[in-house]
Amino acid sequence: MIKIELETGGSVWKVLTKPGDQVEAGDTLFILEVMKMEVPYEAPVAGEVTSVHINEGDAVEEDQLAVEISD
Amino acid sequence: MLAQLKYYVRMNWKTETDEIVRRRRLALDQGGPDAIAKHHKKGRLTIRERINKLLDAGSFEEVGPAAGTANHDENGELTGFDPANFVLGFGKVDGRRIVVGGEDFTMRGGSPSPAGLRKSVYAEELAVQYKTPLVRLHEGSGGSVGGTSGKAQSLPGPVNAPARFRSVAQAMATVPVATAALGAVAGLPAGRLVASHFSVMSKSTAQILTAGPAVVARAMGEQKTKEELGGWKVHTKNGTVDNGADNETDCLTEIRKFLSFMPDNVNQLAPVIDCEDPIDRTDETLLNIVPRDRRQAFDMRRIINSVLDQNSFFEMGAGYGRSQITGLARLNGQPVGIWANNCKFLAGSMTTDGAHKARRFMELCETFSLPIISLVDEPGFMIGSQAEREATIRHGTSAVLTAAMTTVPWASVMVRRSFGVAQAAHYGPEGFVLAWPSAESGPLPVEGGVAVAFQREIAAAPDPEARRRELEEQLAARQSPFPRAEALGVHDLIDPCQTRLELCRWVDRVQHLLPALLGPSNFSIRP
Repeated sequence: MIKIELETGGSVWKVLTKPGDQVEAGDTLFILEVMKMEVPYEAPVAGEVTSVHINEGDAVEEDQLAVEISD
Repeated sequence: MLAQLKYYVRMNWKTETDEIVRRRRLALDQGGPDAIAKHHKKGRLTIRERINKLLDAGSFEEVGPAAGTANHDENGELTGFDPANFVLGFGKVDGRRIVVGGEDFTMRGGSPSPAGLRKSVYAEELAVQYKTPLVRLHEGSGGSVGGTSGKAQSLPGPVNAPARFRSVAQAMATVPVATAALGAVAGLPAGRLVASHFSVMSKSTAQILTAGPAVVARAMGEQKTKEELGGWKVHTKNGTVDNGADNETDCLTEIRKFLSFMPDNVNQLAPVIDCEDPIDRTDETLLNIVPRDRRQAFDMRRIINSVLDQNSFFEMGAGYGRSQITGLARLNGQPVGIWANNCKFLAGSMTTDGAHKARRFMELCETFSLPIISLVDEPGFMIGSQAEREATIRHGTSAVLTAAMTTVPWASVMVRRSFGVAQAAHYGPEGFVLAWPSAESGPLPVEGGVAVAFQREIAAAPDPEARRRELEEQLAARQSPFPRAEALGVHDLIDPCQTRLELCRWVDRVQHLLPALLGPSNFSIRP
């Protein structure tokens, strides 16, 4: 199980994945908006997205768990 | 006649030399087979194993191997020898001499014995005296209330004793100092650990503690394990150490790599090596690495790795002050310092910890006469209530003034944004400045500037949000770097693919200026 945690706080701009999706390494999972910049988070490995803990528009914090992938 | 002969036989020194051999052999037993086995079982190496792993094979020349406590029976015969629990000596790394030392955890848990303390303090003094880099391999704690002698009260030092930490500070101003935390490090060794130009901790075996769990529980009622108090997750993120490595061996590899960029001392230049990477190697991907959409982030580390000599980038402090990227690398074989913004972390803004990291890094380059390459994408100081609480303006200005006082050569590449007071930290005095077509600069980024300057106009518009966007786009379009180049506001405006070639040519131009920078710096690095 790979846990994608947030590097910084910010707001969730786009969520591009949902539980059950098969993803490849490098696929963009979601995009945060931080200090007016879009910061994409990519899948570090190929696998299945098992859970998504964020929604578009959420205000989020550093280290928060965003997505889990089973590889 | 016989008695006379026997008299002469007794006059040689064989008894003593035999005892020297015995003592040496006993010293190598360290804390004894049981203590060593216990240490190994925890997955840790002994100090002698660590030293041998760090150094070129067979190069260790021990200092003070006879220091320790001898035990005798009632007839005065030697029954045992407890060596000082700090092993110290000279050795070579990639053929270059260093001073190396570290606590022996198998004896007294690394808490200094009287001779151990003397040897540990001697490490910095030796490095300063011989002007060789210093490597400390720490696993141990500071003093105990029982004192180093184990007796309740030993004689305190005289008032006119030399200042205890002067040699620690002097070492940092004189020679490269690299330190690893390989087991639990607390108290005095923890203080010396951070008094380094480069520090690394083993994620699997090390903790760093100002005070350990028992002291914390007694003073504060806080119940925490060593790992919770001072494990790598805490200390690679707060800047206590520069880097974390998976295990002890990887820590030693990192130290060797750090030293490869360093001169032996401030009176020498860092070693230039032959470079197999052509200076005119171009990388077409740099043409589209910065998105035209100004809101989209890009990967600054890809630019760093593309522009510098291949595989030469050694990042320091990646987990800390993450809006800034700092490290050592080579350009056409010449060691250089690299400092860049990371727009993927808080837009690359100058935070309090980022400013601290950048300041220390500039001081490192200044101390060892390394040219600085700055890749600029600076939106300004971090703003907001948390940033105000952290005194960002003060720490940020400290970085700005540090840059202003450096004497080493600088080359700055305006990659994208260069805004506010914070941008001034990214350009050295009389620095060489190149701009990419994606460069934009000014007193503050367009979005914030529009919000302030056109506040009333936006509020009065039928669709304020649309008017805001319109104004932002209009002003952003005026940020072209061409007028700046026309006014000689930069040395040149370049195709990003030419960055490596331009920087290598610059390095060649400044090379002969470096010898004049040798010697102690006006300011040196402090923790």
